Amino acid sequence: MNRRILSIALLALLVVFGFALPYFGVSNFTLSLAATVLIAAVLASSVNFLGGEGGMVSLGHGAIAAASSYAVGWASREGFNHLTQVLLALGVTLIVSFIYGVLAMRTSGIYFLMVTLAVGMLIYGLAFRLSSVTGGENGISGIDAPAAIEPEWVYYYFTLGIFVLITAGLWVVTHSPFGASLRGVRDSESRMRSLGYNVAGYRLGAFMISGFVAGTAGLLAVWHIHFVSPSSAGVERSVLLVVMVILGGIGTLLGPLIGASVVVLVENVLSSYVDRWPTLLGLIFILVILFARAGIAGSVPKLLNRLRGLRSSTGKTGDRSSPEGAPGPSSNHTP
Amino acid sequence: MFEPVFLAQQTLNGLSFGALLFLLASGLTLVFGLMRIVNMAHGAFYLLGGYIGVVIAGLTGNLLLAIITAVISVSVTAFLVEVVLLRFVRGQELPEVLLTIGISFVTADLCLAIFGGDPQNLPAAASIPGALMIGDLIYPWYRIFVIGVAVAVGIGLAIVQTRTRVGAIVRAGVDDREIISAMGVNIRWVFTGMFIVGAALAAMGGTIGSGVQSILPGVQNEVLLYALVVIIIGGLGSVAGAAVGSVLIGLIDAFAKAWIPELAYFTIFLPMALVLVLRPTGLFGRAS
Repeated sequence: MNRRILSIALLALLVVFGFALPYFGVSNFTLSLAATVLIAAVLASSVNFLGGEGGMVSLGHGAIAAASSYAVGWASREGFNHLTQVLLALGVTLIVSFIYGVLAMRTSGIYFLMVTLAVGMLIYGLAFRLSSVTGGENGISGIDAPAAIEPEWVYYYFTLGIFVLITAGLWVVTHSPFGASLRGVRDSESRMRSLGYNVAGYRLGAFMISGFVAGTAGLLAVWHIHFVSPSSAGVERSVLLVVMVILGGIGTLLGPLIGASVVVLVENVLSSYVDRWPTLLGLIFILVILFARAGIAGSVPKLLNRLRGLRSSTGKTGDRSSPEGAPGPSSNHTP
Repeated sequence: MFEPVFLAQQTLNGLSFGALLFLLASGLTLVFGLMRIVNMAHGAFYLLGGYIGVVIAGLTGNLLLAIITAVISVSVTAFLVEVVLLRFVRGQELPEVLLTIGISFVTADLCLAIFGGDPQNLPAAASIPGALMIGDLIYPWYRIFVIGVAVAVGIGLAIVQTRTRVGAIVRAGVDDREIISAMGVNIRWVFTGMFIVGAALAAMGGTIGSGVQSILPGVQNEVLLYALVVIIIGGLGSVAGAAVGSVLIGLIDAFAKAWIPELAYFTIFLPMALVLVLRPTGLFGRAS
């Protein structure tokens, strides 16, 4: 309980810092980078929600965001106004999430991972080949955001606002009865089924929520960089999202933001100094999985506790703020 | 569009691509069947094997030597990966998969650093020259050789699995790993061995495949994806399923690319989606 209050306080502090950032006289590049981090964090929260609460780690969320981006891009190229663009993005996102969800809701664990990966690649394939709609390899460029939020600092505030809204929204869902049932499905599918819960329905519902968040991130991204190309739907994107979530700490409140910051900074800043940044990122990822399964947000408090000489085992099973690493769905089937 | 020569050509294209897929998918499915790991580094092993094969083939002009070198170096890599990294997360489904993703990341990036980003192909000197000619049908011998290799590997795997002691141990390990280790078999080394065999098949696929399609950064994800689709359709853990799935996907892909190129990628996912909805364990899979 204490730790949850601590992480909310920390997040609030970060948000205050976020609101103050433009007043520090930072350059437009920094603001743009900060917006990129926030957009990545929104997308990572969608993966984090599904993985942390539902035990379903998805390798296809990059493609959901890309589908939403493409909807905006196509509408913008055809000359539709911004409201239509948003509605179209929402529609496409919901349809795509539904397809994902229906195909994946009967699976769990590794199977879920593979199905989402495959559907994601399907979207990549369409983006790449269906050039009459998507512009093929060149993608669609010249996609403008509404004039009111076009200036860099306004857009930054816009993304910050959406990030706060999404984080708060997901927090509410997580702590609702729906979230509790979802964790029940994660921990023991057979038990929930025998209690009369519609397991597939909960999975589908969770996927729709997560897909909606991913679609929002896609909309934010395409208005930010004014461009969408097939690579945004590629496996690499989705893999990076999982890297962010695991790195930050799956199932934690701060995890997505921390993970997104690390990955985006390595990708955009460190890459100008180190040629082999994917290797570096891969190595960090491997080390985190081997030695700090709970990620940064999960391991740092543990480490601090240990340094203080307290017992690190809090013993609060079922408390979502202290997951012992990634949930392994197959291990708790008791025949 | 429906001329016999065209149909025959596309069928052969489909079969040779299916053969390549089988080399990849059989390794992936065997590793999954025994160890319950979806090895996401499988595509990276293909990539590494392909690069090493191309380099050795360029130096010596000998295809066999290229394949052997690629298989050995990738096997050593896989051995290190299994013993140094994967053993620490044994039995934890998700960390295992995530770890192989990290390995794929690093391997692919190091390949880019060492071999560069240009597409590379098997040099003509190491390839098999000439083409089969029957009437109007002209088809390169090399692709027929690929089909032959896959058939040979398939038969070899089937014989080893059903007729030898090693095969019996592996089958027992798939069914009940506790009993087989209680009977005095060191299942950890059986796992290591299987992981190496899987990687070796991927490396072989990479070298042989470089004569059909270029090796370049990004190809690791593409082949991994095709292999995943094949084993989802065929049923995870089943070599027979991998064979059927490979041929099916190979043929669908070849004809789709010829007839409806805009949807070429789409078409291989339709059968997968159907299988997932109607028979989630795959055509030859067993319910766990």
